[in-house]
Amino acid sequence: MLEIERSAPTLPEERDTPAIRTLDLAKRYGKITALSGLSMSVPRGEVFGFLGPNGAGKTTAVKLLLGLARPTGGEGWVLSAPLGDLHVRRRIGYLPELFRYQEWLTAREILALHCSLARLPRRAWASEISAALRLVGLDARGDTRVSTFSKGMQQRLGLGVALLGNPDLVVLDEPTSALDPVGRVEVREIIHGLKRRGATVFLNSHLLTEVEQVVDRVAVIDRGQVLALSSIADFTADTQTVRVRLTGLATSDSLQAGPFTLKPQAEGWWLARGIAREAVPDLVASLVGMGARVYAVEPGHHTLEERFLQLLKGGEHASGADYRPADGI
Amino acid sequence: MPPVLTIARLTVFEAIRRRVVLTVFILTPLVIGLTAWGFSKLTHLSNNDGTPLSPVEIRANVAVLLILIAFMFSVIMAMGASFLAAPVLANDIESGLLLAILPRPIRRAEVVIGKWLGLATPLVLYAFIAGGIQLTVVNAVTSYLPPHPVAAIAYIAAQSLVLLTITLMASTRLAPMASGIIVVVLFGAGWIIGIAQTVGTTFHNHTIANAGTAFSLIFPSDGLWRGAVSALEPAALAAEGVRTNPLASAGSPTTAYLVWAALWGLGILACAIYSFTRREL
Repeated sequence: MLEIERSAPTLPEERDTPAIRTLDLAKRYGKITALSGLSMSVPRGEVFGFLGPNGAGKTTAVKLLLGLARPTGGEGWVLSAPLGDLHVRRRIGYLPELFRYQEWLTAREILALHCSLARLPRRAWASEISAALRLVGLDARGDTRVSTFSKGMQQRLGLGVALLGNPDLVVLDEPTSALDPVGRVEVREIIHGLKRRGATVFLNSHLLTEVEQVVDRVAVIDRGQVLALSSIADFTADTQTVRVRLTGLATSDSLQAGPFTLKPQAEGWWLARGIAREAVPDLVASLVGMGARVYAVEPGHHTLEERFLQLLKGGEHASGADYRPADGI
Repeated sequence: MPPVLTIARLTVFEAIRRRVVLTVFILTPLVIGLTAWGFSKLTHLSNNDGTPLSPVEIRANVAVLLILIAFMFSVIMAMGASFLAAPVLANDIESGLLLAILPRPIRRAEVVIGKWLGLATPLVLYAFIAGGIQLTVVNAVTSYLPPHPVAAIAYIAAQSLVLLTITLMASTRLAPMASGIIVVVLFGAGWIIGIAQTVGTTFHNHTIANAGTAFSLIFPSDGLWRGAVSALEPAALAAEGVRTNPLASAGSPTTAYLVWAALWGLGILACAIYSFTRREL
């Protein structure tokens, strides 16, 4: 149901360049600094989560990337073209956070309008429109005026608009803010479908549990600057904690295995804190030496929300995770 | 379809779907019917002693009344142009509609020109259709046809384009209400200064006349309206020299003035494009 066809292949000379790259990108509105020195790279074919608190500069950054506003400093490239390049916009799909469409048109007419604006060949419009309506679950409402649509339906329509013409880069600004749980799952599947066909997805959302399930890489910005940028696995990894599932040792309040102290958890799991990755084999050896049968060893893991809050509240720069300066991809 | 025409088509479509066109199609025949009834009564008027008016007197009355009707249409067209253009960009910016359109491969200039075309085309069509029907009805009822009917309609259409263009420029920066008020004030000021110019010229007061000329160059709305009057005014009526009549003409605008008015329109449209291109969304 949610399968997306492959788009035209990326130009060969572009394959090795990032989908998005910014260098000290800055934006000031009078005396207010909305973005100060944003430097980041978004690799092609990845789902990239762009996170930050309210007023962090996310929407400003998106507007700069799409040419809706002009930077007051720095540089940026989207699909290897300078920001605002007219031709490259044919290959970009965008769902704005403030999604509003001409309410006096039908969903099908809105999609036709965007087919025309995106310069899609006329002969492809019918199939593009039908596919978009089907993809976002509006195929039964294609001929209904948008004025009768709920917010959720309008957001679905906006997603359909963003996906017309199989763009190489899809920018989704809070794509599930008006959707019910079923809609959110469907959007997740759509994003997975985009990744499968090789598109880059730039996802800006506050719903961190949603983000965590789809992104490959994440950037956290605050006050117009990148605080952290890494793969989602590294970002959520807790490199100081290890969980071990074992049997064969008596249950107690704690377990001393050599220099390591473990605390019991549910279903045979034990937790060791303050342990470096290199020391994990020593821990396992100590446990086996004590007669334990070890079934599983897992590195600790935080939720994206936990890491996000740690980073913003503590001013901490992700101990142990692969935090790099902004140009580090 | 080029992006300009896509936006123009969208703008026309909006006017149709929002029932602007339907409203105009209902109201215009009512107005024309009412004026036809008035003109039919005019042909049967008599003097105080009961003798019927001579054909020359009836013709003069019809001519004056037709200029009044034309003035009403000129106000309708000018205000209609302002009301249509004031929200056209401002609302799209405020509501966020343009956030979905502008990331497409379309220049902002194409959006402005498309909006202008989408409003100007129906306005000009309306001027010629409604004006043509009005003059045909008057001719059928009174057998009177003004000296230059097509030119008169063209002048009124051009005046509405002046109002449309400056409102569109204001709409790139101001809220619809602010744009509308500014343009209505300019329109009214232009008209009254035009009258002052006629008075200044008649009584050889160069200061007033020059001030009027300067304003008619800065804002060529009333100058074009005077052209419409000139095209509607029969020679006999003009020869009477009713120069202080606010609806009298001081002669046809010169070719240089018409060229200036066209350049003024292009300049204001260029300013609108520049303003919208520089606008942060």
